[in-house]
This record gives sequence, C-alpha cells and structure tokens, in this order.
Amino acid sequence: MKPSINHIQKRKKIQTILIIGLFALFLSWSLIDTGFNVPKLLNGIGETFRFIFIDMFPPNLSSLKGFMGPALDTVYMSFVAMVISAISAFFLSFIAAYNLTPHPTLQYAVRGLASFLQSIPALVWVLVLVAAYGLGLIAGTIALTLSGTGLLTRSFAEILEEIDMGPVEAVQSTGASWIQVIGQAVVPQVLPGMVGWSLYKFDLNIREAAVIGMVGGGGIGFAMQRSLSLFQYKDAFMAILLIFTLIIGIEYLTNKVRMRLL
Amino acid sequence: MEILEIQNLTKIYKDGTTALRDISFNVKKGEFAIIIGSSGAGKSTILRSINRLVQPTSGSILFQNKEITTSSKGELRKIRREMGMIFQGFHLIKRVSVLKNVLHGRLGYMNSFKGAIGAFSKEDEEAAWSLLERVGLTDQAYKRAGELSGGQQQRVAIARALAQKPALILADEPIASLDPTTSETIMNYLYQICHEDGITCIVNLHQVEVAKRYATRILGVQQGTIIFDGSATELSDSEIQHIYQKKLVV
Repeated sequence: MKPSINHIQKRKKIQTILIIGLFALFLSWSLIDTGFNVPKLLNGIGETFRFIFIDMFPPNLSSLKGFMGPALDTVYMSFVAMVISAISAFFLSFIAAYNLTPHPTLQYAVRGLASFLQSIPALVWVLVLVAAYGLGLIAGTIALTLSGTGLLTRSFAEILEEIDMGPVEAVQSTGASWIQVIGQAVVPQVLPGMVGWSLYKFDLNIREAAVIGMVGGGGIGFAMQRSLSLFQYKDAFMAILLIFTLIIGIEYLTNKVRMRLL
Repeated sequence: MEILEIQNLTKIYKDGTTALRDISFNVKKGEFAIIIGSSGAGKSTILRSINRLVQPTSGSILFQNKEITTSSKGELRKIRREMGMIFQGFHLIKRVSVLKNVLHGRLGYMNSFKGAIGAFSKEDEEAAWSLLERVGLTDQAYKRAGELSGGQQQRVAIARALAQKPALILADEPIASLDPTTSETIMNYLYQICHEDGITCIVNLHQVEVAKRYATRILGVQQGTIIFDGSATELSDSEIQHIYQKKLVV
C-alpha cells in the first residue's frame, strides 16, 4: 500500500523540524562550552582596542630595518619550498593520475601519501621538525615543502586527469614512445595549469610562513614572536604591517603572472 | 601488391559489445579505399585495429608482410610511424605551434629523449616547412594550432601524417565536423596527396556521395561485418539502403 500524500507531507515536516532542532541544540551547546556571551564580547572589544591603539600604536618605524632580513628569509623559505614541492609533485602526479599511472596500486599509494602530507598542516610539521632540526628556517622550509608536495601532487594529478586524450592518442599513433608522448602531448597541455597552482602555493606559503615562524620556523614570524615576548608591541605592530604588505604584494604579483598564463 | 592483409579479425570490447565479427579483406598498394556504414557499425574499430590503438580480440593483420596484432612495443613503434592517422576531431596539441604539430610526425624516427624534449633536427624542420607549403599554411606556422579554423587544423593534421613519410594513411571520419565546402577542400588534399605520393589510404566516411566521388574501392560495413566490397559504380541505391538498414532484433 502506498502512503497517502498527507502522510508524506507530515513526514517531511517532522524531518525539517528535527534538523533545525539538532542544529539549534548543537549551536547552544557549543556557545555554552566556549563561554561565548555578549557582555564578555563587549568587554573584550574594549580591551582589544586599548591594546591595539595604545600598546601597539604607532608602529615603531625604526624597527623596520631589523625586520627586513627576516622578511626576506620568509620569502626565500616560501619560494624554495614551492620550487622543491612543485618539482617532486610534477613527477609524483604522473603516477597519481589514473589515466597515466603505470599501475593502479602505485596510484593509490601515491594518492594516499599526498593526502597524508596535505592533511597535516605545515604548522604541525614544524612542531615535529623543530625537534630534529632545531629552531630556524630549515625546519620551516621542510614543513612547507612537505605540505606543499601533498597539495600540489593532488592538484597536478587532477589537471592530468582532465587532459584531452584525443591529441595524446594522435601523437601515440605517429609511433612516439611513452616518454615522447608525455613530453610532447601531455606536458604542453598541463604546464600552464601546473605553474598556476605552484604560484598559488607560493602565495599560500607566504601566509603560512608568518605563522610557522612563530612556532620556531624562522623568518618574519619568528622575529615578530620575539618582539611580542619582550613586550615590544610597537615593534611587533611594525612586523604585522610588514607581513601584511608582503602578503598583498606577493598575491598581486602571482595573480598577474597567472592571468598571463591562463 | 598487397600492403594490408586482414584475416578473421574480431573485436569484442570489455563491456561485451562485438564490434567486429570475423572480418577479412586485403588492400593493395595505391588504393583509396573508403569504408561506409552507419554509426556503431565498426568502421572506427577497423581503422584503430590497424594501428593498434585498439587491441583485436582475434585474427591477424599483416602490414607490408609484418604481423601487427602480436608485435612488441618496439616493433609497434616502427609499424605505427609508417601509418599516418587523421581524426574527426583533428587532435592537434592546441597550445603548441602549427610547425611543432607537424614535427610530431617525426617522433617515431627519433631518439626517445630527443623527441621528448622536442629537439628536432634541421632536416626535419625543413621538411615540415615544405609540408606546410604543400597544404598552404606557411603563414600560420608560428600560430598556436588551436587558433586555426577547423579546416586549417585538419590540413595541419594531414601535414603531420605526411611528416611520417607513411606508406598508409588511415582517416577516421576526416570531414565529419566540417562544413561542405571545407569538407571538399580536405578530401581534395587527401586524395591528391595520396595519389601523387603513392600513399595507400583508407577513409571512414558517413557521406555516401563523397565516397562515390573519390573512392577507388568502397567497403560497406554493417554490424561488424563487411557486406559490400566493390567499385563506386557497383554501389547501387539498393546496396546503399542495405548497408544503412537497421537489422531488426529478433
């Protein structure tokens, strides 16, 4: 026997109420647990403004010179990490793409490795690596390289999976070998996309590098952290402004290049 | 002299579709053979078996007295470089220059690594230029292939096939995505070049009228079997109807 229309409508209504109820329950629970309430929020706002405008403002311009070195370190770290991860991802992605992989088992293995590397934030990698390499740029660079290899391998593989197989077949039928097909038919199709993703990763690296520095990865983040712990808030504010400029500047540059490529 | 001898060729795809049932036919050197038949009759599978883009299930294909179906990877490369293939969708590398696309025809003759990085020789480059001259596209040589019109792209594809210095050209629906005027130009190029250079050609076509104008021989395919094999004049209207008739499923 079929349920009546009435019955179906009623069931749909109950479903909707149940979903809204569950959502409200979870929200209020989370609010209570985090101690989030309006008076507290308002109190905090006052304190925040006081901290920014009295303790931190104005930025100490004379500290800029001292921050320039660490800021450049951050750029170098981000760039080196991007280049190394792009190169490793380039080779790994041919194994990770289902349409080009030499073997399905290898494909799953590389995919798994890439997902693992990517799912652990660079921040966590640094905490692990600092134990082995000590505080400094090398730990930060390795951390960014690891997470970058994961991200880029996955995105490169996706680019490879979307290529037009027609031209690949056409070059194959001229008697070209596997490596020739890859070099002449596949790479020209995917290179702009891969470079675009790499530049995006460079951009992300700069942002992450600032945070990574604070936990011991070196660069501008590390320098800012030092000022903060010495209560030199006006210096720290200068560092924050510098990080901001760096991020905006690199984003502008990489966007320009990517626009021209695609 | 036979350039191609196909015997008892059968292809059953993984999903269970039988594309070719026990097909046998020979092609003589210098023939311009056209295969006609409705979509899904097996025309493409025949051509793609000849250069082994499709692995036949059983049967034998002899090309210049060499067995294709069982040849090793290295042998297959040598066989493929002597067969040019032209596709319905042109299948050029769109981001790469027209000249480079023509040079791809030389890959089968090159050292694997040199080919992979695109280090083509001076002679190959000169040959590519003269091929572009032949198909009337020298002024487009440095343009990206994707910027050309459909008819121009197909002419580049013809030049790529010719760069292989092939003994045989396989053309899989070369004019199916082109307008009538452009189609005629392409068919003229193909016919003339094959005639002048003594290249044997097998073409898959939908258009019976076009087939009748160019073919030195017509093969009619229906549901994976050859049901007509003869000259254009022998192809009567009732034969055409027979080829394009849908068999009733009993």
